[in-house]
Amino acid sequence: MAHRVSRRGFLKIAAGASVVAGLSPTVRRVALEPFVRPPEEELPGRATWYASTCRQCPAGCGVIVRVINGRARKIEGNPSHPLNRGKLCARGQAGLQVLYNPDRLQNAVRQTGGRGSRRFEPVQWAEATDQLASALKGVGGKARVGFLGGSVPTHLRLLVTRFLEALGSPGPVLFDLHSVLEGGAEAHALADRWFGSADKPIYDIGHAEVIFSFGANFLETWLSPVSQSYEYGTMRQGQSGGRGFLVQFEPRLSMTAASADQWIPVPPGTEGLVALGLGRIIVEENLGRVGSHREHAQLYRDVSVGAVAEASGLSVDRLQKLARAFADADRSVALPGGYLSGFTNASQSMDAVMALNVIMRRLGREGGVFLPHTIPAEAFINPDLPSPFRDFEKLIQKMRDGQVDVLMVHGANPVYELPRWAGFADALTNVPLVVSFSPFINETAAQADLILPDHTYLEGWGFEVCSPGGDRPVVSSQQPAVRPLYDTRSTADVLLKLASSLGGAVSQALPWPDEVAYLEEASAQLLGSSIGVFDARTPAGFWSRWRQLGGWWSTKPIRQEPVARGLPQGPLQVPAASFAGQPNLFPFTLLPYESIALSDGRGADQHWLQETPDPMTTACWNTWVELNPATAAQLGVTDDDIVRVVSTHNALEAPVVVFPGIRPDVVAIPTGQGHQDYGRFAAGRGSNVMDLIAPVVEREAAVLAWGGTRVRVEAVHRSTKLARLESLDGKGRETLR
Amino acid sequence: MLPLALAGGAVLVVAAILLSQRTAESAPAQPIAFSHRTHAEAEIQCLFCHPNALRSDVAGMPSVERCAGCHRTIATTRRRIQTVLGYWERGEPIPWQPINKMADFVFFSHQPHLAAGVSCETCHGDVGKMNAARQVVNMDMGWCLNCHLKQPETAVARLTDCLACHK
Repeated sequence: MAHRVSRRGFLKIAAGASVVAGLSPTVRRVALEPFVRPPEEELPGRATWYASTCRQCPAGCGVIVRVINGRARKIEGNPSHPLNRGKLCARGQAGLQVLYNPDRLQNAVRQTGGRGSRRFEPVQWAEATDQLASALKGVGGKARVGFLGGSVPTHLRLLVTRFLEALGSPGPVLFDLHSVLEGGAEAHALADRWFGSADKPIYDIGHAEVIFSFGANFLETWLSPVSQSYEYGTMRQGQSGGRGFLVQFEPRLSMTAASADQWIPVPPGTEGLVALGLGRIIVEENLGRVGSHREHAQLYRDVSVGAVAEASGLSVDRLQKLARAFADADRSVALPGGYLSGFTNASQSMDAVMALNVIMRRLGREGGVFLPHTIPAEAFINPDLPSPFRDFEKLIQKMRDGQVDVLMVHGANPVYELPRWAGFADALTNVPLVVSFSPFINETAAQADLILPDHTYLEGWGFEVCSPGGDRPVVSSQQPAVRPLYDTRSTADVLLKLASSLGGAVSQALPWPDEVAYLEEASAQLLGSSIGVFDARTPAGFWSRWRQLGGWWSTKPIRQEPVARGLPQGPLQVPAASFAGQPNLFPFTLLPYESIALSDGRGADQHWLQETPDPMTTACWNTWVELNPATAAQLGVTDDDIVRVVSTHNALEAPVVVFPGIRPDVVAIPTGQGHQDYGRFAAGRGSNVMDLIAPVVEREAAVLAWGGTRVRVEAVHRSTKLARLESLDGKGRETLR
Repeated sequence: MLPLALAGGAVLVVAAILLSQRTAESAPAQPIAFSHRTHAEAEIQCLFCHPNALRSDVAGMPSVERCAGCHRTIATTRRRIQTVLGYWERGEPIPWQPINKMADFVFFSHQPHLAAGVSCETCHGDVGKMNAARQVVNMDMGWCLNCHLKQPETAVARLTDCLACHK
């Protein structure tokens, strides 16, 4: 009798079989691929560590890369490096995913279907560089070449500057969103106004007793977060006598604010005013043990503490207490953070904060304000100047007027980073040849005619003059940890090749046969320096130590004492910040804050970083809108409900995160998502908060006031599941509110 | 019906286990039919091509450069050699299939075994007599311990410690 297997029986067998198949040991066949030519120092199965420099942000931390069989396996902090002292942040750890990213360009390409078609075909390197060389030869007037850079490594920036100078073109414009959000250009302007210095001031967080941070997210993205986190630890552990005290002024409870003793969410744009009020109280009550404040009285002549109290929502009593806490400490320091740069009163606010350091005589004192010591060699004199928005606007204007024939872009992505009204994408259509050096097809590279992909940083050479370099001059060196995986080419080598084919003044200005020859020559300038942590008898010996240690720095801390050029003439003032949008139609202030993982969007192509939860909300993989519980209740929305955020210029939709750590009149959205291009992990995910930004530009200094946009929030009666590390099951913990 | 399902499952268990176990005789197909015997008969020592066994955890595969080092002049007209030289000229690694695989929870190192005077043949069999190399012993824990237990008494405690191989 035939035994019929019923459907149920069949399913049981099938289920049993699949369970068993799952339990059985898997047979993995992985081919053993030997080296074609083994490197001399490589021993299969044994790790080799290469010291290099992290390029995930412009800080320039030292890294060591673990390499086995020619493959980079792990990145750690370089323990000898004075900046990060063996520590490394999540972004630094994720650097392997830049190297191994499946969406990297594997060769030079030409866009064949017109710009934005995203139809690329491979092009031979020789042909591509010839095309660029002949375009550079053929430009009608040398001023018609433009170079737009983002976080360009120092060595390349120096080479590009020489190249453009020899060509007779204006210098590179360095502009990227990270630098905008951390107030890079404004920090330089501040140092110039007060101390006549081209370098950013450095703040001795580690030895301070009391820190008043005005919108400086120094544990997250501002300047050199790993180094500052280390110093913060020193400050808290009371190595300089007593546990340090930190007060954070900003509208959102950032991770830095959460680490502070007091978080004071004053209305956006009034932070500088608070600094002014504190200064007035210190001078008026002659607080602190620094002698007479008579000479400072004129600075605060026009300040009314009552008016400051009213604008900031802090009582006069609270302001007085804060002023005393700041003034009574022996080592206090006030940090003018990146958030201040987001308003039309940026420069006045930063002045008001710096004035607190000046009246308390904190310049050049331990736990106070310093200027970096320069690197004692000409090759490292570092014009580390992020261009102000004004320069970028000028470049856009020139492009729009058809005055730029060739535009080269390295490390910048303004098509994504800036709102459309800035006009970059439109102006690009008037440039006959656009060349990108991006290793990835990002939004700006998608508008280029040619992409000549640079190596990723684990494959390339270079150096970074760290600014700030902590307590001493630091040059961090970069060397390949692995051979280039693909047919990419170092941009410095492309420039040197172009220079030699252009001939004349350009090839004289850039005489090196390749990038390594240039770097060797540059490093040799430090040979014999009396302050260096190492020296050698020969340039070759020095070059080998340079690569082995991961750079050059001084043995002891050396900083410069800033000398105030004289106090500002006339009283300090902080005018009210201007905002786009009527308060009755747009009741909330938009706070676009820099994502700790994705930064300004450059980390969105690495899924480890996509997966890294925001430290305050634990959300990841998406864009979200942070609303105060009271605001959310008023709008009738809760976690995961989608809302529409509307500014005068644009709108976006994203799920809500109900977050008690935010002012009820502020809506915060992290940066970094909403890419159209940039590979499979970034593209089509979330929304770009920068699209909402309205054109609020402070005319005099041409500062892009990215914090000056007002928005309204509308419920759309849909919801989605936002990926969060934290469970929302514990809702109802009303005590949190 | 349940007994039938169980029986079916049991058959599949056995089949899966059998399939997953690499039989000692299996010799995987290699990109080039490399003969160890030819090389051993030419009196080339194991360590000439696998020198890292002396210094490292893994014996390693010879680099393409090492193959080409001899074969740019030796037997260049043979088809297989031309295949090797093709890899060399294209700068490509040869994707060899592994013969002996140790589970990844075992921290095995060639270096101390060679230092203790264990010959290659003890574990790998008489590879010099094989054309296509194949696995001759099942490298399981019992087999490892068999040998570790036969060592001098002073060393046995150390060699049979769990942490000697499982870190």
